[in-house]
Amino acid sequence: MNKITLAICLLLFSASAFFAQSYNTLWIPDTLSGTNFNLTIKDTFAQLTPGNQTITAGINAKFWGPTLFFNKGDVVHLNVTNKLNEATTLHWHGMHLPAVMDGGPHQIIPPGTIWQPYWEVTNNAATYWYHPHLHEMTEEHITKGIGGLIIVRDAIESALALPRTYGVDDIPLVLTDRDFNTQKQFVTVPYGDSLLTNGTLRAQYNVPGQIVRFRILNGAIERSYNIGFSDNRSFSVICSDGGLLNAPVNVTRYLLHAGERVEILVSFTGQTGQSFDLKAFNSTLGNFVAGGENFPNGPFANYLGKKDFNLLHINVSAQTANPITAIPAVLTNNVLLKATDANLTRIITLSDSMGVTNPPILGPNAFIINHKLFNIDYNEYQVPLGHTEIWEIRSTSVFGHPFHIHDVEFNILSINGAAPPAAQAGWKDVVFIPGGQTVRFIAKFDDYADPLHPFMYHCHISLHEDEGMMGQFVVTEPASGTLEAITDIKDIVLYPNPATDRLFVSFSNPDMEAYYVRITNALGKTMYMLPRPQLADGIDISQFAAGVYILQLTDEKTKKVFTQQFVKVRKGL
Amino acid sequence: MIKLQNRIGVVALIFTIAAFCFNFLPNNDKTVADFTLKNTDGKYVSLKDYPDAKGFVVVFTCNHCPFAKLYPPRLNALNTKYGKLGVPLIAISSTDTIVYDDDTYPKMVEKAQSEQFNFPYLFDGEQSVAKNFAAQRTPHAFVIWKENGQWVVKYSGAIDDNGAEPEKVTDPYVAKAVDALLAGKNIETTETRSIGCQIIFRK
Repeated sequence: MNKITLAICLLLFSASAFFAQSYNTLWIPDTLSGTNFNLTIKDTFAQLTPGNQTITAGINAKFWGPTLFFNKGDVVHLNVTNKLNEATTLHWHGMHLPAVMDGGPHQIIPPGTIWQPYWEVTNNAATYWYHPHLHEMTEEHITKGIGGLIIVRDAIESALALPRTYGVDDIPLVLTDRDFNTQKQFVTVPYGDSLLTNGTLRAQYNVPGQIVRFRILNGAIERSYNIGFSDNRSFSVICSDGGLLNAPVNVTRYLLHAGERVEILVSFTGQTGQSFDLKAFNSTLGNFVAGGENFPNGPFANYLGKKDFNLLHINVSAQTANPITAIPAVLTNNVLLKATDANLTRIITLSDSMGVTNPPILGPNAFIINHKLFNIDYNEYQVPLGHTEIWEIRSTSVFGHPFHIHDVEFNILSINGAAPPAAQAGWKDVVFIPGGQTVRFIAKFDDYADPLHPFMYHCHISLHEDEGMMGQFVVTEPASGTLEAITDIKDIVLYPNPATDRLFVSFSNPDMEAYYVRITNALGKTMYMLPRPQLADGIDISQFAAGVYILQLTDEKTKKVFTQQFVKVRKGL
Repeated sequence: MIKLQNRIGVVALIFTIAAFCFNFLPNNDKTVADFTLKNTDGKYVSLKDYPDAKGFVVVFTCNHCPFAKLYPPRLNALNTKYGKLGVPLIAISSTDTIVYDDDTYPKMVEKAQSEQFNFPYLFDGEQSVAKNFAAQRTPHAFVIWKENGQWVVKYSGAIDDNGAEPEKVTDPYVAKAVDALLAGKNIETTETRSIGCQIIFRK
């Protein structure tokens, strides 16, 4: 053997050794179920790559957070503790709930504070998620790893013969990408060089040789993923953002934009022992779809731009005991909203701030909605309770934007005049607005009026959102004469005072109700943020240190704020 | 291995961002002022209390931060080795104690005892010393050296290059900086980014 052959052999050998050991087992997030969920957001660190640990943030975990299982019809109580050393929020993406529970930019959780939202789950069975939404900090907080999946179950989905053994034949895939600096730390940039699937670099997973369900979330800052398999097999889309499709839709590619989810069924029957790759075929993306650009340098340069790359290496193992081997022909019977039912059509514009002079857009050049940057004190729309509305999103931006609205799931009416593709003809909460095109969707705003706390609509590319590509609306009740009857509100009384374990509130007027309660200690640190607390059983203060506290209560109807002090004492004193 | 491919553009970008956001680039002329802070033994400590010191390793750390919690044994070891060579270690906690109950002075006293700190652990409740040093994250180490009666910053950044696995450290930045200074040689790495929990300055 001559030297060159030897060298080639050595090279091949070392290359194969490198690839053989280059996969890591996909991390599957833990699960929480029931109706009470304890979530602690914290600074931490994780061994994501060889070498030094990466400073991350997670929820009950070192990166990302637990998957929450909700049942439709349950009232779920979320007990969220912010142990970061800065404020954040936690938004329940896709959930239909009161604005004051929404976790958007207005429901700030100061550091060290417990926030306790709760609501009745009315969403259809589907995959949702939760993530930070503090204005101008969303990109940074999501980059650190804060977030988690929500899986809603309902009677319709549960009656179908679908794979639903979490982590076995029902596999969550959270797609995102990150940059690591030379010290192995995250850099907050719109596009990362390294793809992470469930926080795992170069992930691989064993799936059984049967029908497997993947629940895929695009959790990236900016990038879209054009999902498909290495053998170009067909797979069945069964569920969009907010619910099952009427019937499975067979495709070979599915383009998933930031914030969107899709559930797919894939058959691995008879393929035990074989390996395949789930890939992002991003080399085929247009230049104005996120991830379709290939900038050689500058802030958007990244290794994965306009390339095909692996999302998951799949090894097919043996079948499970009771495998799903057939895909149901019919899934549900969605009653979609009809354009003729709409009370009005709102025109929303997406554009680029460059060249806007009257008034000029302050700050860096940004993408904007309705010709203005986000203003947290300005409600663009008052949506009357019970309205069915068409939102017509007209883009003059050259770039495509995934548009997300809080509060509702909607039906897409048209994308540049054409009906939506079958795989998107169900319930959605994010829709991609291609550059220069118009998208119309219809939604019903049928409850949760609140004149104070607004809902958001925004581009789900966190960078664009942080730069101001966001607006807000309130859902309003028709005016009535009820306000006059309750002008006689006087005050609240806290008892017992001093208190040890539980603190009760009594109202001087029975018409009063708590809209919001905030408790701060004598130093000004917020202890509790309680939206619409259920006060009959009192407020648990057993974990407080002894001392003086201040309780601020906002009345539901008048939004008048009452402030009272109380003293916490230890038991036995 | 981390980046699938290293490209100069991205690296340059990172450095540019870091330079703008964190005042990251080395500045060899930077000096810091002496201070007087309360130690966990109740006594007050200043740099001038050490007339024989050639320099100091000043580490901004705290009780609560998960990354700071990894380092106490390494801080003890640094002080044991370099204290007798005229470069003692001083630790300072500058975290906002309204936010973090774990970082109040009484909890610092408990920590210094439970971890058997062999160095002063000073309470910077006003955060003024952290501001003077421009400390960013816990832990953030500074190697300062006495030159012409002034304290000149010779190294700023991480203590070493592996937090959770001390046995896998390949670059002990602080120890190498002190070794070089004691030997009268140039420091190989004068600045890294400190890695840990951000020190949020109270407004």
